[in-house]
Amino acid sequence: MTDENHTVDAIPAYLDGQLSPKEAERLERHLQTCESCMKELQAYRSLFNAIDEDTDPVPTPTLRNTFFAQLAAEKETEGTVSILPMPRQKPKAWGNRIWKVAASVLLLLGAYGIGSYQQRTSAAREIALLKQEELQAKQSAMLSLMENTSASKRIQGVAYIEAFEKPDADIVRALILRMQQDENTNVRLTALEALSHFGKMPLVKTAYIDALAMEKNPTIQIALIQHLVQLQEKKAIAPMKALLKKEETQPFIKEQIKKGLPQLL
Amino acid sequence: MKKIMICLVGICSMFAATAQSDFSQSLDGVAWVKIETKSAIVLKTHDKATLLIQVAQKKPLPSRAKGLKLVGDGGMDNTDIGFKVVRSGSDLIVRNLRKSQKAEIFLPKTQNVSVTNTWNGNIYIEGFSGEVEANANLNGGLVMSGLSGPVTAYSLNQGITVTFDAVSKDNPIVLTTTNGAIDVSLPENTKANLELSSWNGEVYTNFDLERPEKEGLKSVSSKKVKGLLNGGGSKIKLNSTNGNIYLRKKE
Repeated sequence: MTDENHTVDAIPAYLDGQLSPKEAERLERHLQTCESCMKELQAYRSLFNAIDEDTDPVPTPTLRNTFFAQLAAEKETEGTVSILPMPRQKPKAWGNRIWKVAASVLLLLGAYGIGSYQQRTSAAREIALLKQEELQAKQSAMLSLMENTSASKRIQGVAYIEAFEKPDADIVRALILRMQQDENTNVRLTALEALSHFGKMPLVKTAYIDALAMEKNPTIQIALIQHLVQLQEKKAIAPMKALLKKEETQPFIKEQIKKGLPQLL
Repeated sequence: MKKIMICLVGICSMFAATAQSDFSQSLDGVAWVKIETKSAIVLKTHDKATLLIQVAQKKPLPSRAKGLKLVGDGGMDNTDIGFKVVRSGSDLIVRNLRKSQKAEIFLPKTQNVSVTNTWNGNIYIEGFSGEVEANANLNGGLVMSGLSGPVTAYSLNQGITVTFDAVSKDNPIVLTTTNGAIDVSLPENTKANLELSSWNGEVYTNFDLERPEKEGLKSVSSKKVKGLLNGGGSKIKLNSTNGNIYLRKKE
């Protein structure tokens, strides 16, 4: 699928979420550059929305009322129904009847019980599944946002971490990659702050120490020092001392290191 | 006679080449324009779907450089005005090769632009509704006005001044400086979730910040001020390590 080959055919499948992530990504990349396909996508999207919003026709209240009024009138015209005397039957033994009633009640209750139990368990299963799907959707949305060419979008992706109580290691690793490798200072800083919620994870501590050894930006350096001192991370002593020795380290960073080091020793 | 004519044409075209101070290129299929410079750049909008570079005072080529091309650490001049312009995927990379050459660059209003200054001089950016990424990694300042798209900016020493015409929904705005001040003007009705933090500086504003008080507890860190504007909305984060933060109502 090159830029010249338009992607119109794949759009409905894309909107239905039936494309593989690779195909979807390729399509999205194409959409960014191709106005005609973008228009096509918007047209499809509004069509899909229209279908989603379409509801089954329900009679209006006035229609219902006239219907019931007519029904009542019809009943009236049929006249009164005379009740024919029932042929008298021999009264049966009461006990027999009670058993029958009891049995039918039991049956009814049992059926209701089974039905509601099934409904409950399937609902619980569905909710669990939905939650899992939601989490996975969030996770993939976050990961793809963090790869975006726009710094603002990458920051938005990083901030998505707030939606996870216990993010899995993949997410944390993706955040670490942003903190250590992103070319944009603001993205690195946002990732660093997002990671501070998981500062107790050894993975994150190591990442902070590695970042301090690599990072050239003073604003990020000072944030790293602050977090490492707060975490009482003794392994941070070496990179902090190294920074102290470097001539190009800004004076206020050196001051912060001098204040922080005694707290770690 | 013919030879003289050819010579004349040759001389004229050479003269035209050296006197040229504009460069223009189509932006067909370009998602991002990425500008790299070591000196002041003014970035403005125009109504054409092209990139236009104007060099205000073109330096005369030293006589010894005749027949030679300017080379910078960003590559070789391919515009004849001291810039290298190359396409890389859906990015158009524009490098100002000279160490001190002021230039004005014109782009369509909706263009996404990224500007990085690695040396000196201010970057001025005016009137864009597309996304703006600006970095002044050494001594330059960032001055932006009339913006309405997402903005992310970093300045090491000279701070950041931005006037927003509108704040883009859903896209975070993040401005960070190490040693300068941050001065931001927003329309009075802006809906935003604000986070203003300064390590060694102070925060000043004439907006009424709605502080999210957590059951009587005050925010733990005195270095961070969080608040809502007009009930909350877009995320706006302003950080300065050593400078002050000024947040004002746009006049």
